[in-house]
Amino acid sequence: MNEAVVETVTLPAAPPSEGFAELYERTFPRVYAYVASLLHDRSAAEDVTAQAFERAYRKRRSYRAARGSMDAWVFGIARNAALDELRKRKRRAKLEGDPEDVHAPAPEDHADMAIRREIVRAALASLDGRERDLIALKFAGGLSNAEIAGVLRMSESNVGTRLHRTITKLREACHDAD
Amino acid sequence: MTQTDVLTAIDEALDAGMATDADPVTRELQELALVLRADSPEPTAAYSEWLDRRVEQGFPRRSSSKPPWWQPLMQPVAAVLLVGVVVLGVAFAAKGLSGPSGDHGSGGSSAASSGSSGASAPSAGGGSIAAESAPDQLSKARSGQGFAPGRADRKIERTFAMELEAPVDEMQHVADQVTAVTYRHGGFVLSSSVSTGDDGSGGDFNLRIPAGEVRPALRDLAALGDVRSQSQTGRDVTPAFVTARDRLRSARAERRSLLRRLEVAATDTEAEALRRRLDIVAAQINGLRGRLHSLRLRTNYAVVTVELLAKNGDGGGAGGGSFGDAAHDAGDILVAAAGIILRVLAVALPLGLIALLGWLVARIFQRRRRESALV
Repeated sequence: MNEAVVETVTLPAAPPSEGFAELYERTFPRVYAYVASLLHDRSAAEDVTAQAFERAYRKRRSYRAARGSMDAWVFGIARNAALDELRKRKRRAKLEGDPEDVHAPAPEDHADMAIRREIVRAALASLDGRERDLIALKFAGGLSNAEIAGVLRMSESNVGTRLHRTITKLREACHDAD
Repeated sequence: MTQTDVLTAIDEALDAGMATDADPVTRELQELALVLRADSPEPTAAYSEWLDRRVEQGFPRRSSSKPPWWQPLMQPVAAVLLVGVVVLGVAFAAKGLSGPSGDHGSGGSSAASSGSSGASAPSAGGGSIAAESAPDQLSKARSGQGFAPGRADRKIERTFAMELEAPVDEMQHVADQVTAVTYRHGGFVLSSSVSTGDDGSGGDFNLRIPAGEVRPALRDLAALGDVRSQSQTGRDVTPAFVTARDRLRSARAERRSLLRRLEVAATDTEAEALRRRLDIVAAQINGLRGRLHSLRLRTNYAVVTVELLAKNGDGGGAGGGSFGDAAHDAGDILVAAAGIILRVLAVALPLGLIALLGWLVARIFQRRRRESALV
């Protein structure tokens, strides 16, 4: 792959004590991106994201800093909501057609960039659900390995190992798809 | 490169927004990460504005987001469960605390309501009948069966003993009532002693009550205070009674015979011998009559002994007003309260553990079910 210059999502560090509005401002685009990456359905992603933030708002007093960062806490809620939605969708999958593509092509994309994105999406489809979940938490959600460990309830080193294995597998899948 | 180096390089690329690693494979992974980041879905402006407004308004309830049907029932159900646990605990506690005292303090009243009609047969040889528990005996006495069911001509010597508890300040009044009850039922007081004051309060009564009136008399006596204990013994004296009666008949017959022989005595010597024999027989008759009278008295009248005791906590001599008594009472109350709490916990803890276990299992099950969506 050639060198690529792309837009990045800024990830400010969470202050020790903040209001819900600040948490929402900081995490909303990433939570949406993560949920949409899991669901592949814009409408469902919007519902689930709103639902996740509403749950977080109502349960905000139950947050305990000892259990992890607030970002990881919100992503845990969003992940649960998204998985519940996925289960519902699995049950009715046969009654519906393919979900719409949430990755609408950017008009300014160059042709080679568009092709590259298509290759990556095709390669992503070859991963299993848990691997796609990990990729979504890392790159769409923008979480650190420690935060992912908190969301998935596993050790940080385990997250690093799985992440390395998954992105290597994704690279090979891209080569196969190319 | 190690796994850690690769992941660090990927993070650096994401931070910098470009892939710069010298190693071609690592740089390729960096580029892949950047594509993945850049390809992240973004919310539409309209949706962002809508959700911003909801956040600003504090997520007002939408008409469609009704609470589940069971949610209003949660609080009443929890309250009912809590009350149930407390009631069970208190019931167990009350049962446990009333154990020993329940056998004594409420003996009179329980006996009064007892419907037991069982009866023990008298010993054939006229021996004493074994003492039984107070409620059984009292119920037998009240049912009129006594110690010799079906044998109305049996001569039974009955003895009743009763311990009555009464408050110190009512001791004299209760003592007067014991005497009054005895007279009311045709009995008499053989001996009595009552003491009140700082050295101790109590009393002893030795009563004789007609056998036919024992049942109502005992009931009235039991009503004067709390019956701490009650016992009854019976002794079948029918053989002794029959023997004395037969010997009396024989002695009378002998006296009549001696008198007839005396009328026709031919000599003074013979008459003198008959008179001496008559004196002996007369003495025997007197003795036997006295014995029969005594036996009749003992069987026609029951011996009832009543012991009056100061009620627990009244302290007898102390009067119950000292600091020591107060501390003792406080200790008793604390022990009782601790007992109740312990019993409530004995019920609540296992239930709580079961609930906790159920909650943990439910959580694990829910988590696995959720994760199954990714498979």
